[in-house]
Amino acid sequence: MLSPERRPSMAERRPSFFSFNQNPSPLVVPHLAGIEDPLPATTPDKVDVLIAGTGMVESVLAAALAWQGSNVLHIDKNDYYGDTSATLTVDQIKRWVNEVNEGSVSCYKNAKLYVSTLIGSGKYSSRDFGIDLSPKILFAKSDLLSILIKSRVHQYLEFQSLSNFHTYENDCFEKLTNTKQEIFTDQNLPLMTKRNLMKFIKFVLNWEAQTDIWQPYAEKTMSDFLVEKFRLEKPQVFELIFSIGLCYDLNVKVPEALQRIRRYLTSFDVYGPFPALCSKYGGPGELSQGFCRSAAVGGATYKLNEKLVSFNPTTKVATFQDGSKVEVSEKVIVSPTQAPNESKHVPLQQYQVHRLTCIVENPCNEWFNEGESAAMVVFPPGSLKSGNKEVVQAFILGAGSEICPEGTIVWYLSTTEQGPRAEMDIDAALEAMEMALLRESSSGLENDDEIVQLRGDGHTIVNSVKLGQSFKEYVPRERLQFLFKLYYTQYTSTPPFGVVSSSFFDANQDLEKKYIPGASDNGVIYTTMPSAEISYDEVVTAAKVLYEKIVGSDDDFFDLDFEDEDEIQAGGAVNTEQFESAIDDDDDDVNMEGSGEFVGEMEI
Amino acid sequence: MNTSVTSIKLVLLGEAAVGKSSIVLRFVSNDFAENKEPTIGAAFLTQRVTINEHTVKFEIWDTAGQERFASLAPMYYRNAQAALVVYDVTKPQSFIKARHWVKELHEQASKDIIIALVGNKIDVLQDGGERKVAKEEGEKLAEEKGLLFFETSAKTGENVNNVFLGIGEKIPLKKAEEQNNANEGESNNQRVDLNAANNGTSANSACSC
Repeated sequence: MLSPERRPSMAERRPSFFSFNQNPSPLVVPHLAGIEDPLPATTPDKVDVLIAGTGMVESVLAAALAWQGSNVLHIDKNDYYGDTSATLTVDQIKRWVNEVNEGSVSCYKNAKLYVSTLIGSGKYSSRDFGIDLSPKILFAKSDLLSILIKSRVHQYLEFQSLSNFHTYENDCFEKLTNTKQEIFTDQNLPLMTKRNLMKFIKFVLNWEAQTDIWQPYAEKTMSDFLVEKFRLEKPQVFELIFSIGLCYDLNVKVPEALQRIRRYLTSFDVYGPFPALCSKYGGPGELSQGFCRSAAVGGATYKLNEKLVSFNPTTKVATFQDGSKVEVSEKVIVSPTQAPNESKHVPLQQYQVHRLTCIVENPCNEWFNEGESAAMVVFPPGSLKSGNKEVVQAFILGAGSEICPEGTIVWYLSTTEQGPRAEMDIDAALEAMEMALLRESSSGLENDDEIVQLRGDGHTIVNSVKLGQSFKEYVPRERLQFLFKLYYTQYTSTPPFGVVSSSFFDANQDLEKKYIPGASDNGVIYTTMPSAEISYDEVVTAAKVLYEKIVGSDDDFFDLDFEDEDEIQAGGAVNTEQFESAIDDDDDDVNMEGSGEFVGEMEI
Repeated sequence: MNTSVTSIKLVLLGEAAVGKSSIVLRFVSNDFAENKEPTIGAAFLTQRVTINEHTVKFEIWDTAGQERFASLAPMYYRNAQAALVVYDVTKPQSFIKARHWVKELHEQASKDIIIALVGNKIDVLQDGGERKVAKEEGEKLAEEKGLLFFETSAKTGENVNNVFLGIGEKIPLKKAEEQNNANEGESNNQRVDLNAANNGTSANSACSC
């Protein structure tokens, strides 16, 4: 329900926009608050909402609130956008690692960094790289993707496809059979397995309604369900749970796993033969910047290098490190990493996500499908030397993604394993990848003809990763050149989850009722740290939960209706004549194209 | 006529209230009014111009106020092929700020960015206002730093189109070649257009909000 106190949405406050056709002259450009008013030199005295931290969730929230009509002040203590989702240069990473180890960046620990002298003083510069602190992939059918389009933030970004998903098993990287066609044509699959797989895929696309099938297994694990109910065998079970579902361990519950498997299948072929997308120049760090820009256009005020020192819930005044103050009429939203000193309400961040990011000097083009610069490799439980119990995921990005220069590649490894085991698992995964790469890039490949397979449908496929066979016996002649290695442990209150549930994000219920004397953050609402989740799925849910807390309802969350280019074309035609003649007077050489299409065509 | 369209990302920089948005609005709509409410597209404004049988599509990015507290994102400068650095000829402070933005562009933006230095509000002089930044000062800065230079009035429209024409003439041929080259490479071909979902059940309908 809409609260009666609700502020009118941006769309409602722009009547001119919708009377475009009735009121054709002068050209109507929608009122957007964030542009060239005489701008105050200082931050505003009073705002509706103060947000500290420009991470993914906070940035989506800021844009949602700005477009809803709230007056937002959005700050970050860092001199860059992104906070926990930042995309950083190598120099910025160096600073960040120091800060983590000094204890001045909360929610991160044990940062270890190696940087080759080739970066900085060698052939690469720090700015050639854009390293994500929490890399993500975007499923082609997902809440965030539709918000990107609705808000037009996608116009600030470039996306590339990700179709290459591998499962590592028995020292091999199995390429995923992820389409119906591939299942039908895969010669290695017995007929019975094919039928069972197809039966499962048909079921999973509409699984909720078929309670008779999954309900008896609701409390059992997904692998039991697949084996007992669909008679699938281990390779298919692993592929479904780990490569397609991107789950973290074998204990994943049935509904969660089904949801995740369906996410992949319904995303496939939305834009082409791939389920997911990656943004160029960086992941969440880029998207955060895009949403912040959108919020700014909607009227939000931005200030980097600004740290919250305290909030007084009685006077509703927030104080910053530079001494300035702002009165906040509604809510103060703070990222756990931006909590003021003397804060006492930061939710417990009890889950660890261990990450290792490497830059390797090797183009590894063989690892990508043709025309792509991204791949995902999953190491299922028990597949590594370390005897891993949890999955290790490796997200691989090449130079085509513009996050690293030609001839280099970035590996993002992560695991949900807790404690010291995690690093052993990650090291084992790194070693497996290193061996694979050395093997394939070594000269004189012995089995060239096995790299090219003729499939049942007559298509020749290049087993492009060249990882399809065991390299157990392989002894590398050289070591791989690592340009950069960064280990760190990130803490989060969000468990590694399956089904996205809003309750995960409700870490600070009833906070306002429990003020602690002397605390600098009474009345503040904290956002969540990124979880281990490799997709963006948690972001929208988390932002929506916060939005509802502030606005009272999420009904108008990104309730935006920017007109599309086509509509503007139709509406704008009336101005053509006036426009054309004016231009012609000025300069004969300039031939502004006369059709309405070009009159103040708004790409929004 | 050549059907190819060269897209040019153009970013606006300059102190507040020097008329950045007004120049753009004048250019895209020829509709300038005093005290006009601040306006610009939610992503960016676009305008096409045909120069020497070549169509140039300007994608014009406004700072949206993010420059106020030195908070412009790297995204703003990325791949910008052109920039307008605007100052107000009646405000010396805005000319100092323009120098700062030129420096910033040389540090942050791509090396071959075309920068146009624009002294705006020359209509004020005709109305008896006092010029505080000499034309020669602007010309000198432009020469030193290799910038295009114009003095304009967004209010009357004087010289506004020449700014964009000047940029368009300087960029297209070089850029067109580069774009063609880039299109043959892998990185540009693999761009996915999010508006081009394959079927009716497009990503747009995935949102439950």
